[in-house]
Amino acid sequence: MRRRSSAQRALIAAGAALLALFWFGPFMLVGIGSVIPEGNLLSFPPRWFAHPPFLGNYRYIFTGEIPQTYLERGALRSMISQEVRLVPRAMLNSVLIAMAVMFLSLTLGSLAAYAYARLRFPGRVATFNFILISRLIPTVALAIPYYAIVLRLGLLNTHWALIAIYTVLTLPFTVLVLTLYFRTIPGEIDEAAQVEGASPLQVLRHITLPLSLPSLVGTGLFTFMLAYSEFLFGLLISTSARTRTLPVTLGTLSTNPDVAWGLMMASIVVGSVPTLVLVIPVWRFMVRGLMSGAVQ
Amino acid sequence: MGQTTAPRGRAEPLPVERGRSYQWRLARSGVLMTLPALLVVASFTVYPFWYALNESVHLSSPILGRRFVGLDNFRNVITSPYFLDAARTTLIFGAIAVPVLVVLGVLVALLLNERFPGNTLLRAGMLLPWAIPASVVGIIWKWVFLDSWGALNAGLYSLGLIDRYISWLTTPWLARFAVIVAFTWSQLPLAAILLLAALQAIPDELYEAAAIDGASAVARFWAVTLPGIRPMLVIVTLYEILMALNIFDITYAMTGGGPGTATSLLTYYIWAETFKMLSFGNGAALAVVIALLALAFIAAIIRALPKEALLGERA
Repeated sequence: MRRRSSAQRALIAAGAALLALFWFGPFMLVGIGSVIPEGNLLSFPPRWFAHPPFLGNYRYIFTGEIPQTYLERGALRSMISQEVRLVPRAMLNSVLIAMAVMFLSLTLGSLAAYAYARLRFPGRVATFNFILISRLIPTVALAIPYYAIVLRLGLLNTHWALIAIYTVLTLPFTVLVLTLYFRTIPGEIDEAAQVEGASPLQVLRHITLPLSLPSLVGTGLFTFMLAYSEFLFGLLISTSARTRTLPVTLGTLSTNPDVAWGLMMASIVVGSVPTLVLVIPVWRFMVRGLMSGAVQ
Repeated sequence: MGQTTAPRGRAEPLPVERGRSYQWRLARSGVLMTLPALLVVASFTVYPFWYALNESVHLSSPILGRRFVGLDNFRNVITSPYFLDAARTTLIFGAIAVPVLVVLGVLVALLLNERFPGNTLLRAGMLLPWAIPASVVGIIWKWVFLDSWGALNAGLYSLGLIDRYISWLTTPWLARFAVIVAFTWSQLPLAAILLLAALQAIPDELYEAAAIDGASAVARFWAVTLPGIRPMLVIVTLYEILMALNIFDITYAMTGGGPGTATSLLTYYIWAETFKMLSFGNGAALAVVIALLALAFIAAIIRALPKEALLGERA
């Protein structure tokens, strides 16, 4: 190991401290903001910590029980936003949509990826490139046509439209990652099965997919996260409050000048739970994929 | 394959050598297996793009109906002061945010490549900004920068560093700065991890050789590290340019494009023009313009990638 001078060590420590502040600081502020009563949050000069931690914001989101602190001062009463109560519902919407997208993307993606990884057929390279490049078109350029198509099909305000759109948006990623992964599985196993008379579909189902389980899980969860987080199409297609996804519900809340920020913070914490639960397996998968040189 | 009657043994021909009908069946399987994905992607790419092109050369209005106007919509949007303003804002945004991201990405990657206590915690901490939906990133930073009771103002005031709250989000240049900070926060994790992966792929012997030659740490960085990560630097730069062209959720939630139009980036402007102003023809023309811009970057990315990077045959 290289030995470091004390100046180098100080530099590393300072960099690490700055980075930690940058990564974690905003989250800590949100967490703190969610347990401060509105009156203290808005006070000037700031008296944030004059009140013991307060869970009324969280209680309101789930039960609709208006926190005592909001009743104390008449002026703040109007700041309670009914929309915050839609957060659990929006989370459910987002989870259902994301699960459907994950399933569809993995099904279509693994079929195509197997063919790209193992079979030769006319148009193989051209169609593969086409699928990948399609995703690089800015989504806003597709927004108008998608909106018009969804409108014409009468699917506005349905989850079906979002499921279809998110499947298209995630499919290129799924195809790319699964193709690269399938290629790392030795081809001899497939050939042996083919000698036994198995069709490509059977090989995929009984050999390749079971061998690719870690990659399938990682890709699937990544797809889930993308679908769970998407904003633009969610905003365009779900116009009614009940069908909205979580990012759209939160995003529109933040543009509402009447929103109570304590409630907003608590909504963010609640709404981030699914992503934070999934993020560790997804990240492991991604980092391992990158380190093994799939992207090099 | 049912008609094979010869006993199985070493003489059994490999499937790849088994003749044209077998080859043909495999090829057919390949086409059939890729078809569903391809149809889905194509119908949601080719048709919409054609639709946008078609819409961009027509003018639809509830009173006059629909008529062909040629390139009028393009002329309208490109010469519109609002478009020029949004384009300029996007250019400024990209010209600041992308270099900042790339430089910080290299610095963070270099830092995380060192051994120190807490390294794992920092790497895990990168997950948070990366995983949070971008609209939520916008809200989080809105809360930090909020003019009247934001966390930054409250904190600076409590520390006695300012004696009056700063109007972060209602002063044009400060609002742009705030958006760049939020964008950097959400994009830095991926940039840093990609560059870290590239750093770790540089063989140690190169560093040792350079050290034996008496090269200083700075000289080693220029002579060994930088050339080693250059392909990834190019990819990260182009990727971040694309992301900067795509940014929508953050500004929507954080500033709503304001104050005035100070943070109205192209995507936000297209969205507002189409869905707030309901001028589909103009919106479609803008969409075509931005798609062509992106395609130019895509072409650059593909040229930057090593040949046979993805589907090419490996030795």
